[in-house]
Amino acid sequence: MHILLVEDDAPLAESIAAAMRARGWRADVSARGEPVPASLLRDEYDALVLDIGLPGIDGLETLRRVREQGSYLPVLMLTARDGVDDRVIGLEGGADDYLVKPFAFSELLARLHALVRRHEFRRSETLSLAALRYDSAARRAFIEGRPVHLTARESIVLQYLLLKTGQVVTRDQLAGLIPGWDAATSDNALELLVSRLRAKIEPAGVRLRTVRGLGYLLEPAAP
Amino acid sequence: MSGEAGRPSLRRALLLWLLLPLVALIPLTAALIYGLALSPALDALDRALTDTAVALAEIVEFKDGRVALPLSEQTARALRADLVDETQFAVGDPEGRLLGGNGALLALAPALQAGQWQFFEAALSGQPVRVAAHGRPCGARAQQVCAIVVAETLGKRAAAERAALLAALLGAAALALPLVALALLAVGRALRPLQRAAAEVESLTPQRLEAVDASGVPREVAGFVLALNRLLGRLREAAAAQRAFVADAAHQLRTPLAVMRVEAAEALATPHPPALHPALERLHAAAERGTRLAQQLLALARAEGMALDPRQRLQPLDLEPLAAGCAERWLRPSLAAGQDLGFELEPARVTGHPVLLEELLGNLIHNAIEHAGAGARITVGTRMEPGGALLWVEDDGRGVPDEELALVWQRFRRGREAQGLGSGLGLAIVADIARLHGATATIGAGSGGRGLRVQLRFPPPGSA
Repeated sequence: MHILLVEDDAPLAESIAAAMRARGWRADVSARGEPVPASLLRDEYDALVLDIGLPGIDGLETLRRVREQGSYLPVLMLTARDGVDDRVIGLEGGADDYLVKPFAFSELLARLHALVRRHEFRRSETLSLAALRYDSAARRAFIEGRPVHLTARESIVLQYLLLKTGQVVTRDQLAGLIPGWDAATSDNALELLVSRLRAKIEPAGVRLRTVRGLGYLLEPAAP
Repeated sequence: MSGEAGRPSLRRALLLWLLLPLVALIPLTAALIYGLALSPALDALDRALTDTAVALAEIVEFKDGRVALPLSEQTARALRADLVDETQFAVGDPEGRLLGGNGALLALAPALQAGQWQFFEAALSGQPVRVAAHGRPCGARAQQVCAIVVAETLGKRAAAERAALLAALLGAAALALPLVALALLAVGRALRPLQRAAAEVESLTPQRLEAVDASGVPREVAGFVLALNRLLGRLREAAAAQRAFVADAAHQLRTPLAVMRVEAAEALATPHPPALHPALERLHAAAERGTRLAQQLLALARAEGMALDPRQRLQPLDLEPLAAGCAERWLRPSLAAGQDLGFELEPARVTGHPVLLEELLGNLIHNAIEHAGAGARITVGTRMEPGGALLWVEDDGRGVPDEELALVWQRFRRGREAQGLGSGLGLAIVADIARLHGATATIGAGSGGRGLRVQLRFPPPGSA
């Protein structure tokens, strides 16, 4: 993974970059937004991490310029906790996700993974997590190359969970994916579907958690 | 205002200076009315006595060197006739001999010059009487004077005195009562703006130091109120500066703490000598706690600033998605603590501030994660009730001893049992933000008497 991190606080930026490099990623740091569009043209990046509060042009303006030059690079915005409106503006302005400061580093990594996975998916129509690989075009899943039999509904749910890896997916969101289901009638059916799916995919080294009363969370078994 | 005795009272002083003169002036006025009303009445009564005396004088005859009083019994009765009083008369010749009438009355007559009138009071056969005495010239020489004396008892005079006294008392009352009432009313009205200003000052709190409304306050008090407002202004500025300092300090602290967090987490994740591990764990925990504390200080400063700034309007929002949004942030910490974080969410409309409410809920969940202990089940709930929205966080963990429940809302007070990383600010922030939203916060044991349940009841949306 090759990440461009735009963060004006040098010690924080260096810490994050060092931690990314320790995971075998490549990480470049920019303290300002102005040179970012040019950097993206020069180098091949997998994701952009963009702090909203920057000296000179701020993160939102930087994002606007990046999108203006036709880049579809996944962008994760970093926003101060107080800036509720920033999040909305950032997502409307073309960011793919946002993270509220102060955040745990593991959270940043999880979000970046998910972003890049979604981005990859748009290009290759395959999604991977641990030993699990899902081919969206064929609607088939594989564990270490061996096919896993999924029903049509299970594959819809699995694709959505894989796209949102590391994030809580609510029952309403999942029920809404399945034709003819709605949240009111499908709680038990969905629970049953998810528990069958769980049994099929967990051997791949992934974990499909139930968030009691709310929804589900897919993540690698050992992060 | 406290009405302690012994403290000088403006109201009392004003009333004293207004009413004391009345105490002296009203009796004086009454006396004046009495005198003015009585004296003409008494004069008229004296004149009636004079008329009788003049009639008698006309009857006295002087013939052949002798003085006589040719008075028939009918005339005498007519002269004595009176509805109220008993009238007596006496006529004496120049030598003092009685010519007619009452001899005892004649004895009361003083020496009289010709044409002289005298009026006096005396006692006649044991009864007080008013006497008119007249000297009528009779005889050849001018020095020869006949005494004509008329007396009547005091019935009419007493009646006149009573009438005058009544007039005086009624007059004084008619004057005194409106004056006292007006004085009370005027003092009350004059002091009312002062009491209103005092009530306004009374309602001020450190969180709400608004200027007192000086309109309608009299000129004499306005100076005081304006000076007070300038003082309040300086206090507001000082409070704002202090909040800004706290917010700035917390903000400045966040980045170095974030660096510490990342570095400590990295150090823990990279191979390291086992002897270093406990120190790294403590370093990581301290960085986490510092980050949280800085965040909470910021939230407190923001909540207080918002309470002071009416421009920061609360907006209608639903607690259900807000609580659901907290799941991702707190799921991992609760999993790491070996707990089960779950939700019971239903739509719950409130009027509120999203960032502060998120902070409030974050503090409640964080508190539960810190204190409930491993294996606990933590549930976040929202629900709409007729009286307003409910938001609660309940766990089945260790709970808080009853005697500490009342103290948990105070800043920097941590339960004796607490072993977690809490700063002790969490519930104080919850209380501050709840107050800002007009919500009531309650804390107690969870269902079945186990663990802890913190619940907030919000006012119905739109009522705040």
